[in-house]
Amino acid sequence: MAEEIRKETAREKDVEIMLDNVGMVYKTTDGKDVTALTGVSFDIHKGEFISLLGPSGCGKTTLLRIIADLITPTSGNVLIGGETPRQARLKKRYAMVFQSAVLYDWRTVRKNVMLPLEIMKVPKKERIERADKMLKLVGLSDFADHYPRQLSGGMQQRVGIARALAIRPEILLMDEPFSALDEFTREKLHDDLLRIWRKTNKTVIFVTHNIQESVFLSDRVCVLSPHPGRLSAVVDIDLPRPRTMDIKDTPEFTALVAKVRNSFEGV
Amino acid sequence: MTNKARLNLLASVLLPLCVAVLLFILWQTEVLHILLGTDTITLPLPTRIGEIIGQNADAIWEHTQISLRVALGGLVMGSVLGYGIALIATIFPKWGAGGLSIVSAFNAIPIVALAPVINNWTRDISTEVDQRSTVAKMLVVMIFCTASMSINAFRGLTELKPFSEDLMKTYAAKRGTVFLKLRLPNSIPYIFTALKVSVPSSIIGALVSEYFAEDTVGVGRQIRENIVKGQYPTAWAYIAVACIIGIALYAILMLVEHLVMKRRKG
Repeated sequence: MAEEIRKETAREKDVEIMLDNVGMVYKTTDGKDVTALTGVSFDIHKGEFISLLGPSGCGKTTLLRIIADLITPTSGNVLIGGETPRQARLKKRYAMVFQSAVLYDWRTVRKNVMLPLEIMKVPKKERIERADKMLKLVGLSDFADHYPRQLSGGMQQRVGIARALAIRPEILLMDEPFSALDEFTREKLHDDLLRIWRKTNKTVIFVTHNIQESVFLSDRVCVLSPHPGRLSAVVDIDLPRPRTMDIKDTPEFTALVAKVRNSFEGV
Repeated sequence: MTNKARLNLLASVLLPLCVAVLLFILWQTEVLHILLGTDTITLPLPTRIGEIIGQNADAIWEHTQISLRVALGGLVMGSVLGYGIALIATIFPKWGAGGLSIVSAFNAIPIVALAPVINNWTRDISTEVDQRSTVAKMLVVMIFCTASMSINAFRGLTELKPFSEDLMKTYAAKRGTVFLKLRLPNSIPYIFTALKVSVPSSIIGALVSEYFAEDTVGVGRQIRENIVKGQYPTAWAYIAVACIIGIALYAILMLVEHLVMKRRKG
């Protein structure tokens, strides 16, 4: 009964993404079934920062790609604002940031940010305005006319974030976006991301295999365990916001990291 | 200029130039003739070749234009055809790879075998010898240039950076948009890779196809005619011109590539 009531209130609290018993089974070339993901159910609220955390093989990227409609689940249902992932994709309700920045190296930084706007047929004047605004937001105004190869890895990934924000999505899907960066750059980008998130109020789904990172950034951490990939726990991160680096030295932070670590199964 | 740029210039310009000067000296002083066991009649001195070029400038220029037209015409036709084949292979990836192997097989047919066949095809397209002969030669060059373009362009159209197609999918981009904004620009460096092979081979193709052509014109044909007649200095003059054409076209290609690709490297 109490469970029912809790579910109802959650629904009223603007559920943005609903995952219902989502599963993914791949067929290997020799005809065997491999279960990448099984029975994943949970709701993501509007404006929430959610991490999908787990070791490799836990299906966290698979789950993100299912939400993005890059792959279709073999079982279960996904609803994004009441629509199917496909409808959400066609309406550009989400934007995705990948493991690498995926910048087109024949385009300048500004033109890379303008790319989705060109495809959406936004008028040229507005394209430039929006691109420049987003570059300012990620602190790269001075590099608008540079080419991607002239930028460091961290700067490239910031361009990737600016490009994602340029289409004004409701949801930001991030697939291990900082995993290729060094520790210093990553911490800087954590700060930037939280600042941008606070400013723009997007729903963020952040895939990572870094426990500290997920605790530092998120409202809730979804812990996924491998073989087969499944949701083994959802840990609320009730640390105050805005968060700064100092929070990582507090006992509360350490306790949450331990709690998340202990909720893995069979690693 | 950075140190690296200086080194590059040294390697790409100065080094070949030094070798050329050294060769010239050995040749002119007849050391080369001793090394090769030949005489100045079979291998005329560079100054003598230069003299001949000066005396026959008008005729040489005429034959050069004819050969250039064949080489460039065939190059353009072959490259366009090759890119088109690559495009079709990209649209139908299941058949693409197999289709491209067939194109490569065509590339392996020697001109000696190809030229008479093509001469037969073009026999009826014009009553003018020079017209039908030009077409026949261009077709030979075209076949020479198709394979390298189709194979390289196919790679350029399909070997994309990880996630760049996913990115387009998240924008709900149509196939045509993906081609224009991703595949086509991605293929441009590969087009230059193809041209670096097919520009020199278009010249070789043009010169050799002239050997078997109906019309007895062009730089390649002149080399043959003069050797047959024992006029070695004139033959060597045309050989020198053939070299100059090859180097000049390649230099132009490198320059264009530098200008186009400069922006990407930053």
